[in-house]
Amino acid sequence: MSASHASSATIEDDRSGVARSAATTAVGLSVLTMLLAVANVLNWITTDASVASVALSTLYGVALAVAGVVTVAVGLLSASAVIDANANDTSGVLSGLPVGLLALSVVGLVASQTLGYGVAIWAPAALVCAVAAFLFGSLAREDLTATLPWGGFALFVAAVLLAGVITPSWTWDPRHLGVALTGTITVPCLAFAASLATAWAAAKATQGFGARGRQAGAYLLIGANALFMLSLLVLLVAFVVEKGAGHALRGIHLGPGLSVHVPFVMNGAGLGYDIDGVFPAIVGTFWLVFGALVFAVPLGVGAAVFLAEYAERGRFTTVVDIATDGLWSTPSIVYGLFGYAFILPRLSPGGRPNVLAGMLVLGFMLIPLVLITSREAIDSVPDAYRDASVALGVGRWETIRSVVLPAAVPGVITGIILGVGRIAGETAPIILVAAGGLNADPIRVIHGFRFTSSPPFVANDALLSATNALPYQVYAVIETGVGGSESFGWASAFVLLLVVLCFYAVGIATRMYFQRKLER
Amino acid sequence: MSVETTVNGEPEEQIETEWTEYGFGGDAAFSVRDLDVYYDDDRALRSIDIDIPEESVTALIGPSGCGKSTFLRCLNRMNDRIRAARIEGSVAFRDRDIYGTDVDLVELRRRIGMVFQQPNPFPKSIRDNIAYGPRKHGDINTGLLSRLLGGDDREREEELVERCLRGAALWEEVSDRLDDNALGLSGGQQQRLCIARALAVDPEVILMDEPASALDPIATSKIEDLVEDLAEEYTVVIVTHNMQQAARISDQTAVFLTGGHLVEYGDTDQIFENPQSQRVEDYITGKFG
Ligand SMILES: Nc1ncnc2c1ncn2[C@@H]1O[C@H](COP(=O)(O)OP(=O)(O)OP(=O)(O)O)[C@@H](O)[C@H]1O
Ligand SMILES: [Mg+2]
Repeated sequence: MSASHASSATIEDDRSGVARSAATTAVGLSVLTMLLAVANVLNWITTDASVASVALSTLYGVALAVAGVVTVAVGLLSASAVIDANANDTSGVLSGLPVGLLALSVVGLVASQTLGYGVAIWAPAALVCAVAAFLFGSLAREDLTATLPWGGFALFVAAVLLAGVITPSWTWDPRHLGVALTGTITVPCLAFAASLATAWAAAKATQGFGARGRQAGAYLLIGANALFMLSLLVLLVAFVVEKGAGHALRGIHLGPGLSVHVPFVMNGAGLGYDIDGVFPAIVGTFWLVFGALVFAVPLGVGAAVFLAEYAERGRFTTVVDIATDGLWSTPSIVYGLFGYAFILPRLSPGGRPNVLAGMLVLGFMLIPLVLITSREAIDSVPDAYRDASVALGVGRWETIRSVVLPAAVPGVITGIILGVGRIAGETAPIILVAAGGLNADPIRVIHGFRFTSSPPFVANDALLSATNALPYQVYAVIETGVGGSESFGWASAFVLLLVVLCFYAVGIATRMYFQRKLER
Repeated sequence: MSVETTVNGEPEEQIETEWTEYGFGGDAAFSVRDLDVYYDDDRALRSIDIDIPEESVTALIGPSGCGKSTFLRCLNRMNDRIRAARIEGSVAFRDRDIYGTDVDLVELRRRIGMVFQQPNPFPKSIRDNIAYGPRKHGDINTGLLSRLLGGDDREREEELVERCLRGAALWEEVSDRLDDNALGLSGGQQQRLCIARALAVDPEVILMDEPASALDPIATSKIEDLVEDLAEEYTVVIVTHNMQQAARISDQTAVFLTGGHLVEYGDTDQIFENPQSQRVEDYITGKFG
């Protein structure tokens, strides 16, 4: 803006300020609409419900119309230099592509479905429109391409909703597609898409387009994405908690003294208990994971040290790489079958399922991940540390032990955390090699150790007996109806979630401890 | 050879005629004969012949990329750790070929300490950084076992840490935070910590690769004092880009020029006052390089 027209510049500044606050309002409105649409998809509000005696789809329509009008208006004002903006003169292919795709789908759908033209008409029409939109989107001024198509789309959706073209009772049953779309899901989805578009466009307008505008737009999209991920997680956990927590906390009372008695967590299942519980399964899962860790972590880390520090990079390491990657992606049922056919007959007469076999099989499953992540962690330790140690006249193994491994520990632990998450919830191999019904008593591994007078001098019957485990319990209860109600299964799933979270918490705390040691 | 030309476009032969043989009265710590170093197919050093005397400071100067660090790494066989590096020729340390088959690399590197061009402290506390070498060599035992057996060397460790930090002109700045992580130090402090760490294992030779490149004038002059002190007992080989520094602290100076040639080697005074070759004079006076 030229400085010589000071008065017009202030007026322009005022106008720009108003336009920007309008754009900010549009962003807020669009975000609210998005949230409403999400709540609608989740069925917290039904599509045919009404909010404050206004039908939901009317509400969407009005909100989108307002946001769309504001967006388009800001774009036009900016392009005609009425308000201050620093938009680029052309927008580029990346901006043109989505605009083209939008035109293709909207024109195609409207022409073929709403207007009912045959393919000979709607396909060329859609294509021509798409190309035109693409050219417009790539070549026109940035403030136009960022607002007009998306604001226009919002206005279009608003018109469709307000005119009642798509209502909650509307259905669309394409002939060649196996699914039928109903209005109850289409309305919120359309509203979500349109409000996301206007939120994005208006966010760019709040910063006057240009680099800062794109930054604001990207910020909004990334924020929406993160929020979406987070809500998915929360939804999942909330669902399990809602289904399972009630049953899991049933009969909870303060026991003798200061202790708390949570029957579901502390009881076994059977005649002796007033409330059946999953304590044996918790103990079983704990021992299975613990045994697998004891077995897999030294082997995996050791192999990683060898591969990363000693082995010459060549054909051998390539083969090992492929093998470990393959092992990690091998389906767990294959491990289970291997344990069933190979380990069980060698561990107990008659091949009865037992804890030790379960530990071994889960350990086998864990080794590749521990190996891959540990190796990555060791590889990413800077060579400068090794050089420094070696130049002080410290041998190779001492260097690895005292400098490389401590620096790699956080990475190794991350790998272990991921691995534990997988094996703690593993069901298939446990069914095959370790599970033996919903037994009433937990296995007593520590008490099971006995000393014997003949080699191997120790014995542990508990390790050779079958156990229950939480994922198996969930499977058995929900799938085959063994041992109780469905809510019993949900409660087990809830407890499984908690147990895995406990493993995570321990892992993350350990990692933080070692990381702090490296940094402070 | 006439096919190869140098940066200045002069034929290589001319350089070799500029090269003068230089002898020392005392013993040579290192005798390097006909040393060639290749990284894959690139030749980084060409036929280096040099004798580095004991108990003195030898400065290596030359433009960036001329092979000073490469040469330094040959002296304690750190080049062996670079996969692409190939070394030909011989390097004798106290009349023993260090590239021979019976050389104990760990022992060799303990006796020939090194300070790297990039400071590389361990991600450990300052104290642990310095005590690392002595602990690994068993000179200092602070482990649980030795504590139980009454042979706790903590006091000696304290002394050692302080002595080395003072030597590297770092003690004043860090004496109250010896247990902080060394990565929290500034770049120049890290470099001095690395010097202190190298002193802690009491080597016979210290190789320094631009130890003062990230230091302010005060710390630099402290390091220079340290180098001069060290030279009374130790053999010091130091790479520097700072001509004044080389002139101030070194007894001999070797000038490398681009392409990995050792162009001139001799008494520092002679090199700086009366260089034999025009190219060396140009380099020293800043006309080329
Ligand atoms: N690890 C390596 N792999 C391949 N080439 C290398 C390696 N290290 C050094 N070189 C090459 O060898 C030549 C000499 O490098 P060197 O590091 O010895 O130079 P320098 O004299 O120390 O330079 P500066 O003063 O910049 O530190 C350079 O051309 C460099 O590219
Ligand atoms: Mg160098």
